[in-house]
Amino acid sequence: MVARLCLRLGWAFFVVWATVSLTFLVHHALPSDPARMVAGPQARPADVVRIREELGLDKSIYVQYARFLGRLAHRAPHADASPGENHASCARILWAVHLDLGKSYQQRRPVVTILRERLPRTLWLALAAASVQLVLGVTAGVLAAAHKKTLLDHLAVSTSLLGTSAPTFVIGLFLQWLFAFRLGLLPLDGWGDSSGGHVASVVLPAFTLGLFGAAYYTRIVRDEMIGQLSEDYIRTARAKGLSGRAVTLRHALRNAYMPIVTVLGVDVGTLVGGAIVTESIFRWPGIGSLSVTAMLDRDGPVLMGCVMVTSVAVVVSSLVVDFAYALLDPRVRGARA
Amino acid sequence: MRSIREKTSREKTTRCAVRLGRQVHLVLLGFNAGCSPELPTPLPSGHSEAALPRRGGALTLASFGDMRTLDPANVADGIAPQVLQAMFAGLVDYDTQGQIQPELAKRYSVSSDGTHYRFVLREGVRFHDGEELTADDVKRSVERALHPTSPNPSSASYASIKGYAAFIARKAEHLDGVSVEGRYVVTFDVDRPDSSFLPLLAMQPLRPVCKSAGTRYADTWHPCGAGPFKLLPGGWDHGRQIKLVRHPGYFRPGLPYLDSFTYLFNVNTTSQRFKFATGEQDVLRDFLAPELLKFQADPRWRPYGEYEIEKQVAGLAMNTELAPFDNVEIRRAVATALDRDQLQQVRASNLRPAYLPVPPGVEGYDASLKGQHFDLNEALDHMKRAGYPFDPATRTGGWPHIIPYLTYTQGLDEYLVQIVMQQLARIGIRLEVRIVNYPTFLALRGRRKQTVAGPGFWQQDYPEPGSFLEPLFHSKSINDEESNNASFYANSRVDELIDRARHELNPERRKKTYGEAQEIICDEAPWAFTHYYRFFVQWQPYVRDYRPHPTWTLDAARVWLDHAAGPLATRALFSGDALAKLLGTRIRGRATW
Amino acid sequence: MPIARTPMRRNWTMTVGLALVMVLVVFAILGPFVSGHDPYASDFEHGMTAAKFPVGPSARFWLGTDRLFRDELSRLALGARTSLFIGLSATTVATALGGLVGVLAGWYEGRLLDAVLMRIVDVGLAFPFLLLIMAIAASLDRTTPGTILLTLGLTGWLGTARIIRAKTMQIRALDYITAGRALGETTWGLLRRHVLPNVAGPLLIVASCSVAQMILAESVLSFLGGGLAPPTPTWGHMLFEGQDYFSTAPWISLAPGLAIMASVLGFNLLGEGLRDALDPRKD
Repeated sequence: MVARLCLRLGWAFFVVWATVSLTFLVHHALPSDPARMVAGPQARPADVVRIREELGLDKSIYVQYARFLGRLAHRAPHADASPGENHASCARILWAVHLDLGKSYQQRRPVVTILRERLPRTLWLALAAASVQLVLGVTAGVLAAAHKKTLLDHLAVSTSLLGTSAPTFVIGLFLQWLFAFRLGLLPLDGWGDSSGGHVASVVLPAFTLGLFGAAYYTRIVRDEMIGQLSEDYIRTARAKGLSGRAVTLRHALRNAYMPIVTVLGVDVGTLVGGAIVTESIFRWPGIGSLSVTAMLDRDGPVLMGCVMVTSVAVVVSSLVVDFAYALLDPRVRGARA
Repeated sequence: MRSIREKTSREKTTRCAVRLGRQVHLVLLGFNAGCSPELPTPLPSGHSEAALPRRGGALTLASFGDMRTLDPANVADGIAPQVLQAMFAGLVDYDTQGQIQPELAKRYSVSSDGTHYRFVLREGVRFHDGEELTADDVKRSVERALHPTSPNPSSASYASIKGYAAFIARKAEHLDGVSVEGRYVVTFDVDRPDSSFLPLLAMQPLRPVCKSAGTRYADTWHPCGAGPFKLLPGGWDHGRQIKLVRHPGYFRPGLPYLDSFTYLFNVNTTSQRFKFATGEQDVLRDFLAPELLKFQADPRWRPYGEYEIEKQVAGLAMNTELAPFDNVEIRRAVATALDRDQLQQVRASNLRPAYLPVPPGVEGYDASLKGQHFDLNEALDHMKRAGYPFDPATRTGGWPHIIPYLTYTQGLDEYLVQIVMQQLARIGIRLEVRIVNYPTFLALRGRRKQTVAGPGFWQQDYPEPGSFLEPLFHSKSINDEESNNASFYANSRVDELIDRARHELNPERRKKTYGEAQEIICDEAPWAFTHYYRFFVQWQPYVRDYRPHPTWTLDAARVWLDHAAGPLATRALFSGDALAKLLGTRIRGRATW
Repeated sequence: MPIARTPMRRNWTMTVGLALVMVLVVFAILGPFVSGHDPYASDFEHGMTAAKFPVGPSARFWLGTDRLFRDELSRLALGARTSLFIGLSATTVATALGGLVGVLAGWYEGRLLDAVLMRIVDVGLAFPFLLLIMAIAASLDRTTPGTILLTLGLTGWLGTARIIRAKTMQIRALDYITAGRALGETTWGLLRRHVLPNVAGPLLIVASCSVAQMILAESVLSFLGGGLAPPTPTWGHMLFEGQDYFSTAPWISLAPGLAIMASVLGFNLLGEGLRDALDPRKD
């Protein structure tokens, strides 16, 4: 088990490195000029050239890549040494190790600072949205499966179809208009100032994301459970005198864990890095909108920071999911001789 | 047999479709009624038109964009100038009539040969940190902004200051052209008489900054100047909002009226509309296009809205080095084939048809010039003269190849070009659109021999015709990469006229020389000018003395608020945030009411 | 409590689904001719109201005009061709690829093949999708439905692969597979007889959810310059074009929105019906 974990951790590092390096390469290969994006469309060429040099963008990709990796993680200077210019954009992680993602070309602030502002908001939204889709989706899926081919089932399925075919901006704008503007129940946008505010402001964006996700869960859960309900052991269990509801929930749902966990694992990465439309509708400054802005501005350091966060989220969720399989369904592990 | 079935089924389909159409229409009407609340009721002001300004209150504005940096030495986006204007005062500045006036300078004088400027500062002007502003601060701030280590994107515009070349090349420690003559006198020397120097000085990059800024640009500096508002520590919540408060030591007595003003960032247009309705946002400038038409048509709102002056020009830029636009007759054909009135309908409330390179809002705009015009028959004549006659009746002839047109996503041009295509097809010119994202577009359009045609657009850097003509049509603005002259247009006569006008200090003669250059440009048509974009701004009636500033959009120092019966009365209708209240808290923004 | 079950006509879902899909296909083929308007021509005379708004559904324009005053119906019909093609084929590519990788990885779970495949999936999920689109868009001189299909198909399979892998792992652990193995059945035989029929269900669900997503994703590509260039209409693009007009001219986005929904419904019902017909566990 320990060896397996070590191997997986090794792979995890590899994946993060591969993603980040690939992004670096692709971003560099795009036919556009970060210095021009900093200087603006009307800057004189002389100013563009000067800014390009100032940002070190006139160097070759190898030099830039080496510089990026070199300063990514390094030993912190001694505590008594002055922080100095070289460590202005660092964040301290793990005792004496510094994490340095450089400085945003556009905002001219350390990327770690920007990420530190945004990460809690992103995680909070991702958590809320995942809960919404899990709870809604599983409930609807279980109900639909338990009442297969009844009105309830058709309702659940058609609602989920609606959910998958409606674009996020339609759902988002509608929820915003109804609950925030018309009814005034929830804040229009933003992130709130207090803990109560954070809770109130997350509701609409979480539902916007969650309603779409829930549709998928509904279908998966329903399908799994219908499958499981026809399996032999459910019949056996039912023959043993367990009530229908208990059978449905306890046995069949447990077997649907695996796909649910898998989908949830895939969603984590998406929710952390990709809630772009929702973030912009509800003015929720998260990682998703940050990375899109960074891409459109050719703000390399910020983009690399975002990719770093997203890849860590993906890797961790993938790892957790794989280990969860073993816990949730011991037979899966046992099968491999 | 088969045809009969087809016929009946087709009839049935048609009938069904009509019925369906009617039903859909009904549904739409219902949807429309439910989902499109009419325009909000204006929130009234407390006092009559004649009332005198009162102090106090907090003004809130919003933009869908974000502000990236806040330093006069690094003005890199469209929002920063509005905020900088409230925080930093300059030696001279544009007034609400678009005229240059002394600001921090008590008075200034120009030598008769036009190369020496002498500014006498007001005494006792205080920075936000309480220190007095002196001539040393002026020189220090200029050198800080123009030093090669500063990321200033507009340094090169100030190249006419004496000693600039040595300073930017790090050959000189100081900028020779700026001298301190005593505590309150500072002088500027320029290489040649330059009509753009004062307008450029009235822009923001060289404005005096507090002593805390030091002599070199640093990213970590807390912005601090001598303008009417100041930024407290923590007042800028990146990506969300900035809040400025009154600078009590502002040198104009009694100003500003507002206690504070807040600028919200990243607010999309729908949210802004909602916020404006409730008074959570006091001024609306980013509209959904169709809603703007409604606001403008509503008599309740009409007194509280105004167009800003046009400061930008847009057109179809044609690469004069590549076929077919190396043929001047084809360019002329394009310029006369575009029906600007029709193009305007793409965004009727924001576009004004353009026939000249210099927008009407720019000092020196000359309405008497002939410019370009729309005449389909003439355009066909030009095609004939170019050697590619087109017969509209048979739709034969014209330029035999499809012309690639490069544009960018998420902009208005994506829509405009679809009309342009239809119009050019009438003279036998066929475009095919290639659409890329904005950074790619910028890189490709400025690369020599790369892009045949695409949208051209330019906004004033300073309010002078030269701010448009020099970067867009002067041959010295041609580069192999990063070319601002994106049509790679070179005409020695035009070059000479632009240069002469720039060094001409007599405004009348300057206007005439620029006019002459414009006539040639319009005739040779490196661009077919299409429209000037104009912003419309709508404010709530309780926002008093709001006037769009011709240069800075917002003049926060003179705005004042006049809420009727207390703002809470109106806002109680939208009790808002019930959940947050349930949780015993109040949401940001409402707490300040 | 017995599970409630009302008797239904067996192939009800399939029939309705098939009918819907047929209607869409016919619409795509005949639509442009039915309306009689040029989908690319702006009509400033009749297509625009005096207040400069697009006109609503009327006798002349059955579905109204769009923001450039063109006939919405003929654009919808023309868009049907591209959107249905992109939606269906990209889904097919993505599902097939995801299914293949998922089954392989799941079957060989814990082995090197699984590790390599799943790490590729991880990198793919973490890599910024939009950057990839930008890169593809920049490297192509022009985008066609073909390039879009490839872009979407080759990026859309990652989640599917993970789900199918989990499902395969579950199936592989079942008794009859162990038994089959003991009886000397070949891997291919086991995959074909037991695994594939069982992953078909989840695959179908994933596929049916993804048709709509692919249609919408085409317009996300346009957002970054990787979509079809104007003035070619697609449903996704039309939907987004109407965004600003949502409260003033809702038909602009409502028509493509309903069309997308109808196609999703059609393909889903068809899929459900197919699965019911092929279900190995059918009563």
